[in-house]
Amino acid sequence: MSRETLVGSRCVRGDAADKVCGDAKFLDDYTFPGELHAALVLSPHAHARILSIDATAARESDRVVAVLLAADVPGANQIGCVFEDQPLLAVDRVRFVGDRVGVVVAETREAAREAARLVRVAYEPLPGVFDPEDALAQGAPRIHEGGNLLRHQKVRHGLGREGFAGCDVVVEKTFRVNYQEHAYLEPQACAAVPSCDGMTVYGSMQCPFYVQAGVTRVLGVDTSRVQVIQATTGGAFGGKEDYPSEIAAVAALAAARTGRPVKLVLDRHEDMQVSTKRHRMAMRYRVGAMRDGTLVALDATLHVDAGGYAGLSTVVAERANCAASGPYRFRHAAVDTLIVYTNNLLGGAFRGFGNPQVTFATECILELVAAEIGMDPVALRRKNLLVEGDLLVTGRPLPGSAPSHRVFDLLMEKSRYREMAASAAAFNQSSRHVRRGVGMALSLYGCCLHAGGQHREGSGALVQVRSDGSVEVSIGGTEAGQGAFTVMAQIAAETLGADYARVRVLASDTRMVPDSGPTVASRTTVMSGNAVRGACLQLRSRLKELAASLLGCASGDLEVARGEYRGPAASLPFAALCNEAQRRKLSLFASGWYAPPPRAWDTETGQGEAYVTYCVSGHVAEAEVDLVGGVPRVCRIVAVHDVGRVVNPTLAEGQAQGGMVQGMGLATSENLQIDQGRCLNPGFTDYLIPTSMDVPEMEVWFVEDPYPDGPFGAKGLGEPSLIPVPAAVALAIANACGQRPQQLPVTPETVLRWMHDRSQGPGDAGGGVSPPGESCRRLSLPFPD
Amino acid sequence: MEIGFVLNDRYVTVPVEGTQRLLAVLRDTLGCTEVKEGCGEGECGACTVLLDGRPVPSCSLFAFSASGRRVTTVKGLARSELERIRDAMVTHGAVQCGFCTPGFVLSIKALLDRVPCPTREQVREALAGNLCRCTGYEKIFEAVEALSSGVRP
Repeated sequence: MSRETLVGSRCVRGDAADKVCGDAKFLDDYTFPGELHAALVLSPHAHARILSIDATAARESDRVVAVLLAADVPGANQIGCVFEDQPLLAVDRVRFVGDRVGVVVAETREAAREAARLVRVAYEPLPGVFDPEDALAQGAPRIHEGGNLLRHQKVRHGLGREGFAGCDVVVEKTFRVNYQEHAYLEPQACAAVPSCDGMTVYGSMQCPFYVQAGVTRVLGVDTSRVQVIQATTGGAFGGKEDYPSEIAAVAALAAARTGRPVKLVLDRHEDMQVSTKRHRMAMRYRVGAMRDGTLVALDATLHVDAGGYAGLSTVVAERANCAASGPYRFRHAAVDTLIVYTNNLLGGAFRGFGNPQVTFATECILELVAAEIGMDPVALRRKNLLVEGDLLVTGRPLPGSAPSHRVFDLLMEKSRYREMAASAAAFNQSSRHVRRGVGMALSLYGCCLHAGGQHREGSGALVQVRSDGSVEVSIGGTEAGQGAFTVMAQIAAETLGADYARVRVLASDTRMVPDSGPTVASRTTVMSGNAVRGACLQLRSRLKELAASLLGCASGDLEVARGEYRGPAASLPFAALCNEAQRRKLSLFASGWYAPPPRAWDTETGQGEAYVTYCVSGHVAEAEVDLVGGVPRVCRIVAVHDVGRVVNPTLAEGQAQGGMVQGMGLATSENLQIDQGRCLNPGFTDYLIPTSMDVPEMEVWFVEDPYPDGPFGAKGLGEPSLIPVPAAVALAIANACGQRPQQLPVTPETVLRWMHDRSQGPGDAGGGVSPPGESCRRLSLPFPD
Repeated sequence: MEIGFVLNDRYVTVPVEGTQRLLAVLRDTLGCTEVKEGCGEGECGACTVLLDGRPVPSCSLFAFSASGRRVTTVKGLARSELERIRDAMVTHGAVQCGFCTPGFVLSIKALLDRVPCPTREQVREALAGNLCRCTGYEKIFEAVEALSSGVRP
């Protein structure tokens, strides 16, 4: 058997069997002795002054133990994770529908929820502002003391806006992307358990160290007093990056005040109203190009709707800011990203982190440029695709570990794009009620944290090998379904020569490893993976020395293969070696720490080494549109991902397919409707995520070009799997209608309007913008058949 | 009031309130935490149980409607049957976060009881009441197809 065969093989997930059989325990499946339940008192107003709070009726209500308000917070009443702009419990003002005013703690969940409705809060409604551009206008209501412009991020590359001089054509258009709800199947949930030692928090989360920081601050205690343990987490997608800190801090406050364990589980409606969303963005793009198809200059202004508090908005926006040019070469670029407070829902982390929005804008404007100069849009993409050594708009060359042309060529080959387009055109010639179209999109994703967040990049691991050859691994990253723990087990088993089935990755626990930053940015395979590999390499070298002495050979002559250490003449089974190590009082306990070298970044110009490496992805989609109902159907999506090295093909395919379907949702059926800051469809009845009936035929291909700094050459995949999808799908639907998209999602109303416009006259390339607030289900436009 | 029903082959009697949902009785009174609450409005299927062999969302049923009937959770499946489904789902990568999984298992079981060799279209339809946000469904389809016996029509 050759070395390192575990990495790259279809090892089965260690957690899957328990999940199938109902044995996996999610947070709400635990019962803590003496537990209480908390319910939130939430603002029904998008913007209001709090005049008074009367909790008498709630306090007197049956089975209620406590009602806690801002004054009850023992430490800092502050939960903002980047800016200190968000009180845990509102003091004198609320800034979005769902802002927390108080918490009711009761013997049962029902009693807590009922009593929460009895807390009488007198509000004086204030004028609200619900559009970022309005929020920046003179005289707009101020949401925070410092004004509504939270941050202005920039990229200045080449001559910036001066770079348009001499361009043959200039195309300009504004694109919009609506909110997207994560719709993880398990709603937000946590529990705080007090003890004489401090507080232990369990929860459904991505980032135990964020939760620890939030709880520590609110309780006003030492970090060492707060232990955070991740429970089995039922999906996250970014939605459990920062929000769990908020409810964990509330639960911990309640547990500290009552001295009893407190559970806080949101119901779906509450969850959808109060938790973060993919940012709504308006993106004005202007692109200058030459007649031969050379892209020259980009001018983009992004309005990012942060909602009532900053949360992670500036961090998300920085990614959009740096990715605004997609995977394409521009000699000159000026990007202005305005992150703006409004009284809308909170924008936050969501798979892709600002990148899907700008990828949509970039791909759409490229199609317009191609039309303007009369060039095939696929050829335009190929001509301008960044290749190794080309400068990114952030001023650094694209590294060789992002093989863009291999991705492009494989995508064209596997999707049979030309044939697909030709067959769609032929089909449309003969079809009366159904039209077909194809769309293509490519994306460039900066893998791991942006330079602005690099201080959080260090990642730890702890590996213990037991005397029977079983292995325990702890990492600072988390498992939310993506398969990180399986990947870690494969890396550990491969490096140690251990039996994969006997490697356990333990639940993430802040007491086991140093602060390893968040489980985001498709960084876990690289960062935690390198930390695990580092720890295992130390152990492997100890075991090799021991094996060499036992076998009477040089340690350099040993080969570590699955389950044994093999010398030239004889070999030792891994378990026997571990047993001998124990007898000889050798420590088989090691910690690993991985942190990439520092990178320079200039916030004024957006120039520097933004990311450690990049992932290139490409999707081709084929869609069908029923001209009577307007409902689009996505028939086929082909994906190509550059991932460095596939650690586990089954997991990688699963990630890619999940990303495709979630991205398809953003392009089609998922339409969160917000009116004056209130979500009108906060449930799965009206917010439609794709079902088994909607799934297209999917094909996934990987380009494996090892990333030198990744474990076994691997890079991330979690986010790239989604990023190009919405653009490819929207372009395919629009193509079926002979139009070009300007807005996501492409609703049935948009499709019907496109068809209506077409039947009225020549297609307008910019047409088909549906006004905000249109329902997916309200099919009001008559279709002229 | 008190109702009685067969839960996973055992007759149980439980006190219920008039409007109490079956899901609440299963989770809170009877400790069946393998039944999950995802949306509370019968859309996601995480709370699926078999009622007299047919998959239903237990969050949208009054508890009393189970009176005198057979309620099956994933823990009530015959061991060999559960293991067969488990092995197919595990091998085919049909499980990611796992929150929806017990519900899928029951819908799959009900499908295969009815149609031993379902077509892809029949699989899609049978699973339309179960939402999965992680997998994109494809690997779940593959697991079901691996379970179905013989040649599909």
